[in-house]
Amino acid sequence: MTPAYAAFGEVEAERRVASAPLSHVSIELGHLYMEDFQAGPERLREQFRQVAPWAETMRASWRARVPGGRARVSTCFLIDDYFSRFSTPSELVPMVLEAAAECDLTIDYLARESACAEADGVKLARLVEDRLVTDPPPGTDGSRPPVTETGWLCNGARSPYGGAVQAMGSARGWEPPAQNAKRRHSIFVDVELWDSDSRGRTWSCPFLAAVWQLLRLGLIRNDGELPVRPVPRGPSFPANWDELPAVVQLNPAAAPFSAYTTLSVLSTRFLPVELAVRTILSQVFVDAAVLRQVADRSGGEGIPLPDELVDRISYIFLGA
Amino acid sequence: MLVMGEVRTGLLQNSGEIPESLCQGVLGLLSGERVRTSRRPIVYAVSPDQLTGVDCRLASASRARVRGVGTVLSRASVTGGRVLQGSSHIQVARAESDHRLSWSHYLARPGVIEVFGKVRVPDLADGFADSGGWNDCLDLGSVGERFMDVVQASPLLDRKAPFRSARTRLRWVAVAEEPGREGPGIRFTLGRDRVRTLRLVLPDGFTPDVVDFCEDLALHDWLLTTLLVIVERARVGTATRAEVTAKLAPAVDHLLHLWMPAARLDDDFAPLWEALERRPGFTRQWQSLVARVRDQVAINTLALLREAGGW
Repeated sequence: MTPAYAAFGEVEAERRVASAPLSHVSIELGHLYMEDFQAGPERLREQFRQVAPWAETMRASWRARVPGGRARVSTCFLIDDYFSRFSTPSELVPMVLEAAAECDLTIDYLARESACAEADGVKLARLVEDRLVTDPPPGTDGSRPPVTETGWLCNGARSPYGGAVQAMGSARGWEPPAQNAKRRHSIFVDVELWDSDSRGRTWSCPFLAAVWQLLRLGLIRNDGELPVRPVPRGPSFPANWDELPAVVQLNPAAAPFSAYTTLSVLSTRFLPVELAVRTILSQVFVDAAVLRQVADRSGGEGIPLPDELVDRISYIFLGA
Repeated sequence: MLVMGEVRTGLLQNSGEIPESLCQGVLGLLSGERVRTSRRPIVYAVSPDQLTGVDCRLASASRARVRGVGTVLSRASVTGGRVLQGSSHIQVARAESDHRLSWSHYLARPGVIEVFGKVRVPDLADGFADSGGWNDCLDLGSVGERFMDVVQASPLLDRKAPFRSARTRLRWVAVAEEPGREGPGIRFTLGRDRVRTLRLVLPDGFTPDVVDFCEDLALHDWLLTTLLVIVERARVGTATRAEVTAKLAPAVDHLLHLWMPAARLDDDFAPLWEALERRPGFTRQWQSLVARVRDQVAINTLALLREAGGW
């Protein structure tokens, strides 16, 4: 008898990771807060008028890059229902769509900000928080746990506590914080990730925005599954925000929601928020299998992606 | 190529072995990630990979100051529902810049530490293998040990270990075979304070299977070390037969069935295990100890039967 080769596999020992359909770019056309809504529909129209040429430029640039001009571009719009609740989907969404249409913009997907905290029973913000790998200051050798301030994340070493007294009893003067990756001088950033009170934890706006970018880049998995799948719109919009799916697909012909890269067109007042978002995203460890999946797909299309995910994110900041 | 790691091995702090169904809870160090388990030929469960950032000195035999920045890749595993391991490793790469880059650069290279300036692989390999007494250098063992501590603190465990045992440390270094240098091979050294070092010269470079191999070796070295201590403590020939048997019982209950060298390893590593079986001869020593334990138990059984007037 000749020797036989026996193959043996066990399902539980193998990891399966679902893949997300991916566009080339996901363009965020806007982010609506209560103050914008209170300013009336004219404010929204003004915003869309400003955004439209930039969105078109991005679309054209991808058309030129992809063979046959078959660029997959999807657009999205985020409504804040997390920090304040205003109006209702049935009242607000048609108004937003109408204002966009007047500026020749199509909103493909509409998302609720609270979905970035929790969507369909999956605590997305917690998933991302668990994947933070803190930026180590020089001298971090692994012998002690990383120095962290609960609920905060920074890009360097914080100032020593004020009023700290040295061993010999002399009070210590102020010492500056330091950025880990500084070039001679520091730009030290310390971001509040969440706070809590008797009602529980409230995630900060930059943290939810970081989750939002990861969702748009198709890089979050829960148990190997995609945590959020866009739901096609119904004939009407509900009267309650909780009844609106996390991400609604408004345009049936839209390219996929998630994309290799993202572009956000924002007011300059969001600049500090986005610096905080990038500070967070620079410290998120995305599942290597998911990154490989995305890299294989984009490589197969002849579109190399930057290894660092913050480099897949672009912005256009517009003055008021 | 230079890959370095450390594996710490110890007894899971629970009165009995834990069933496979509990492994998900005990090793679920990352939400949204499943613990991978395999049942054949022995139940084995492993946590999702964890990353830890470091920016520190790397030990070098020449005592040169070598700075490295990057991430350590770690995981915790439980074998046979009984033995816990914390394992960390890194690959050393030359930094392309002369200053530290944005953290996202290092996170995009999980498990890689970039070193600044010129370094010689043998200098770092020797330095790491002997780095026990260095206190300001990369400490892979502590990183892995922290994940073990998290597992041991799980509320799903009763923290009542059936016998006392010590954790062992296996520090390993793997380099690629180079023309003119030493050929593929393995060198295993028992050091003081339960520290073992393993040096590997690999013909085909690094694959994740190398980590599996080192963990497997660390597991069996711990089993052997622990069984030796149990037998020693039983004071065969000095204590009464009943005392000896009572001291040996935990070995029968919890350890003897766990010996399965190379059970889950890739065939490429079979020659390495075979080399270790020739010298120092792990399985030979294990079988001799197991026979001794069983003989002692058998003799005591016979004595009890005689006392009971059975014959």
